Parts: sequence; structure tokens; C-alpha cells
Amino acid sequence: MKRKTLWIAAGLAALAVGVTGLVLAQKKYTIVTVVKITGINWFNRMEEGVKEYAKETGNNAYQTGPAQADAAQQLKLIQDLVAKKPDAIAVVPFDPAVLEPVLKQALERGIKVITHEADNQVNTLYDIEAFDNVAFGARLNERLAKCMGYSGKWTVFVGSLGSKTHNQWADGGIANAKKYSGMQLVDAKQETADDAEKAYQKAKEILKKYPDIKGFQGSASTDVAGIGRAIEEAGLNDKVCVFGTSLPSIAGKYIETGAVDGIGFWDPKDAGIVMNKVAQMVLEGKKITDGMNLGVKGYEKVSVTKGPGQGFIIRGNAFVDVDKSNLKDYNF
Amino acid sequence: MALTSPPQTRSPFSVWQALVQRPELLTLTLVLLLALVIGLINPVFFTPQSLFDLLRASTVTGIFALGVLLVLAAGGIDVSFTAIAAFCLYTTTLLVLNVAPDAPFALPLLISIGFGLLLGLLNGLIVHRFRAPSLIVTIGTQYMIRGFLLAFIGTKHIMNIPEGMDRFGRWSLFQFTTAEGARASLPVAFLLLVAVALLTWWILSRTLLGRAIYAVGGSVPIAERLGIPVRSVYLFVFGYAGLLAGLGGLVHASLNQLANPFDLVGTELDVIAAVVLGGARVTGGTGTVIGTLLGVVLVVMINNSLILIGVPSTWQKVVIGAIILLASGVFSRRKLA
Repeated sequence: MKRKTLWIAAGLAALAVGVTGLVLAQKKYTIVTVVKITGINWFNRMEEGVKEYAKETGNNAYQTGPAQADAAQQLKLIQDLVAKKPDAIAVVPFDPAVLEPVLKQALERGIKVITHEADNQVNTLYDIEAFDNVAFGARLNERLAKCMGYSGKWTVFVGSLGSKTHNQWADGGIANAKKYSGMQLVDAKQETADDAEKAYQKAKEILKKYPDIKGFQGSASTDVAGIGRAIEEAGLNDKVCVFGTSLPSIAGKYIETGAVDGIGFWDPKDAGIVMNKVAQMVLEGKKITDGMNLGVKGYEKVSVTKGPGQGFIIRGNAFVDVDKSNLKDYNF
Repeated sequence: MALTSPPQTRSPFSVWQALVQRPELLTLTLVLLLALVIGLINPVFFTPQSLFDLLRASTVTGIFALGVLLVLAAGGIDVSFTAIAAFCLYTTTLLVLNVAPDAPFALPLLISIGFGLLLGLLNGLIVHRFRAPSLIVTIGTQYMIRGFLLAFIGTKHIMNIPEGMDRFGRWSLFQFTTAEGARASLPVAFLLLVAVALLTWWILSRTLLGRAIYAVGGSVPIAERLGIPVRSVYLFVFGYAGLLAGLGGLVHASLNQLANPFDLVGTELDVIAAVVLGGARVTGGTGTVIGTLLGVVLVVMINNSLILIGVPSTWQKVVIGAIILLASGVFSRRKLA
């Protein structure tokens, strides 16, 4: 009787050790993705990626963010998270400077910090950028050039002359167009203040000054909407090519009518997956190196460079080209 | 010094006097001069299409400017109207989309005007109640209204505006095809500016209220002694400016085919510059509808012709500033005389 009890106890103990070992071997990580604002299409799309990652890996990965586009609220949310101490946080900062202290605190507590769209963030281990901005601008321009038959007058708009990314896109485009002797740049970098109405008025003025204009490249997401409307009103859908950075939810209407020929952007769903994957690799003690394949489309051969702080910047080639043929695939 | 002026200066003196009495003549001169200069540099400017573009681009700015005119005439200033306009256009679009997406244009129009009127009245109430400078009050309400809009109503661009607004925005008054095969058109929305201009003119020059507005703008203590209800005048001018902001905002979204909550704020100085260049004084008591409309044409023409005359984008703001400075310099000489 006594011996039997002992055996059972021993068996239970063995089982307990075994189960513990199993749990240890498959430690589940908690990775929290913090976005700029919840409830908008862009970040809903990112959440699809986070959920897909959680389902595939079994890790406890989820997305959160302030209900309002507000740097202070995002800061507060991350402060609360740091207190809870998840294994890693993946942040899309509203204002990188505002978050520096809290991200420093998180790193000091041993939380792994990954960021996205913040190549000036100091307190991060890896910042993930979908692509190199100059290359993105060149790619948009290449599509424009092809549409124009590599010749004719063209121009490029920017939201403001002070916007770093817009200027990088525009410069990338201008450099690309120089490859073709027939492409003639006119009145470059008109400012549209991210206002479709301004883009419309500038486009009309350009059309008036150069009735033979063949192409427009936009930078602000509203640029192609304004240009597209001017083209549509003038009845020039088939004569003028329009490409630019935008989203299907903003430019879709004009892509359908043909006033806008194509747009480019990056897919937040893929960015969400990559952020979580990188977080997991860091937790597993792995390093991300130049040329590595992260297993997500557009991030098969990433470039890794030194960031402004201790961390690194990972750049993919995650361009998404949308035109009439694949417009329906993107719902944001 | 001779006590009598020499006879040969009489002729320029009377021209000068005419300009003092009718400042809108000065604005008209500036408009014509500028048009001539632009047209000489690029003859494309002298086409009916350009005229249409100018009138179209003046529509929203003009509606805003007429509201600002009343506030300036009453001795106040309003910088919150662009925030009110953005609030009205976005909230109205959302509301109509969710409640009655197929409603005719009149519904969003009334809602937007209603919101604008309420927010404008709030401005008037604060300005009068706390005897606060209207510049400070409206800077405050501009931030508040815009902040509330972006924090609680929404930040997403709405491309699919309600059917009624969409149709109104595309509705043309005139349309023709240019020699190059491009279409040019003037939207019906322009008629709203005409209607608002007539209404404002009627209020200012044909009603007791108009006299009261100028009186309050001239001197509040004297107006009070004359028995003018200053509070009502303040409520009226700010309410009117708010109402027109609501109207202008909705027209902006309809023409733009897009409800963007980030639009308009930042353009208020262009509008105020237009009103001042139209002859209204920032110190109050003056200003006419025709002058304001000419001021709007002047500012819109400067803004929308810089590409035509080949000013590089980095220099455009410098040129706009220089022309406004030049014009206001001419105006201040008028005041000295």
C-alpha cells in the first residue's frame, strides 16, 4: 500500500517534470504591437498581419493602439505596457521623439523594442522600413515612364518642400527620368499642402501651360486624387499618365475611371508580420544580418544598416504596385 | 509754404481722393495690372478657360471672405473659420453617409450651415461675454474645434461622399471644349458665391443691422451710447461668419469630391489678406462686398498663376508675400492721404 503510493507519487513527479520541460521547450512569447491609432483601415490591415503571425506561431501576439491620433495617448499606453512587461513590443511611433524616454525604460527592463517607420528612433533594437525612399520614387517614375512611352513632358508634386520623404520620392523619380533622353521634366516639385484641391488647381495650371503634358507623379496621398480629378474633368484620361504614392481607399475611384493609372505604397499587413518575426528572432537571440531572408514577400533580401542609436535599420523592397488590374485585392 | 495748392496738382489729387473714398477702385486697378503682367508673360492666361478656373477657385475663398468681411467691419477678427469649415464638412459628410446617403444636396447643406452657425455663435458669445480680443478667442476655438474633430470625429479621408454632394460638385453651369480638345467648365457652386455676395451686400448697405455693424466697428462706446445692441451685433457677425464657413466647407468637399478633415486649416491668412486687400481695415468700421470680391480675385490670381509665369516652386511663397506687401503698402499710403 505504502509502496504503491510512493510509485504514484514518483509517477506524478515525473509527469510534472516532463510537462514543465515541454512548456520550457515551447516557451510562448508575448509580443505587443502598438500602432499610431486604432480603427483606421491602414492599421486594421496591419492587425490582419499580427493575427496571422499569432495563429501561425502560437505566440501571444496582439495589436493595440490609442483610439485617437495623439502622441501623448500612445505614450501613456506604452508606459502601461512597460509595467506589464511583455517579452517584446513592436511600435509604430506617432512621434518618435516623444517616445524616446519610455522606449529607453522598456529596454532597461529587458523588453525587446522593435519600431516601424521611425528611422530616426534612438531607443530601438531594429527599426523596420518597407523600402528605400529613393528607390521607391524611382520605381514609381519607371512605371510612369513606361506609360508615357519613355518620352514627353512630365512633372512631380510634393506635399511640401520641407517633407523629407516626399522629396526623396521626387528626387528618386527625377533621377530615374534622366535615364531617358525623351523625358522632359517641367516645373518640378510644386507644393500641394497634402490638399487634393491644391493638387487639382496646380494640375490645371500645368495643363494650361503645357497642353502637351504627358505625365504626373504625385507624392502626398491626396495628390493623385486632385490630379486625377483635373485630368478627368479635362477629358484627358487616355492622354495623360498619372502615378503616385497613395492608397486604394483614396485613389481607387480615379483608378477605376482610368484618370489615375497606378499608385504605389507598402502593405501594412506584411510590415506587421515582419515586426513580430524580427521581435521573435531577437528573443531567440538571433541577429538580423544584411541580405537575410525574413520569409515575407518584399523582405526576402533585406538591407541592414546602423541606426542613430545602438540599434539597426532593416530595409526591405516591399513595394506594392497597384493599378486597375489588382485594385480589388487591397481594402485600405 | 503756400496755403493754396498749385493748380497742376489738382488732377492727381482728385484721383487720389477717389481712391480714398472708393478703395475698391484701387483693388480693381491692382487686379487689372496683375492680369496684364501675367497675360504678357504667358498669353495662355487670356483664355475663357482661365476665367473659369479663376472663378471656380474663388468660390470657396470668396464665401469665407464675405463672412470675414462682416467680422472685420464690426471691429473683430476671426481665424477659426477654416477649422469650423473643416469640422462642418467632415461631420456633415459622416452624418449624411450614415443616416441618409441618398438625400439631396439640400440636406447636407442645411446640416453644415447649422453646425457652422452654432460654432460661430459660440465665438460671438465668448468674445462679447469675456470682452476678450477676438483674435485670441478665435485662435483658441480654432485649436479646440480642430482638435475635437481629429480626436473624436475622425481622421480618415472619405472618398465616397454622399450622392447629393457628389452630383452637386460635378454639376456645371457652362461647359466647352478648348482648341486642344480639353474640356473646361464652371461649376454651379459658383452661383452660391453670387447669392452670398448679394445677401451680404444687402445686409451691409440696405439694413439697419449693416449700419450697426459699421458703428460697432467704428467705436464700441459710441455705438453703445447710440443704443445699438452690441451683443447682438457680435453674435450676428460671428454667427454669419460661422454659417458661411459651414457653407464654404461643404462646397469645398463637394467640388473636391473628398471629405478630408485635415483640409483648409492654414489657409485663413490668405482669406484675411484678400479681405484687407479689398479695402477693409483690420481696425474695423470699413469694407465693402465688391472690394472683398476683388481682393479674393487678386489673391486667388496670385496663387494660381505662379506656375504659368514660371516662378519656381521654391520662390512661390516669396513672390506671394512680396505682392501682398506691395499691395498693402499702396493701401497704407492711401490711409495717410
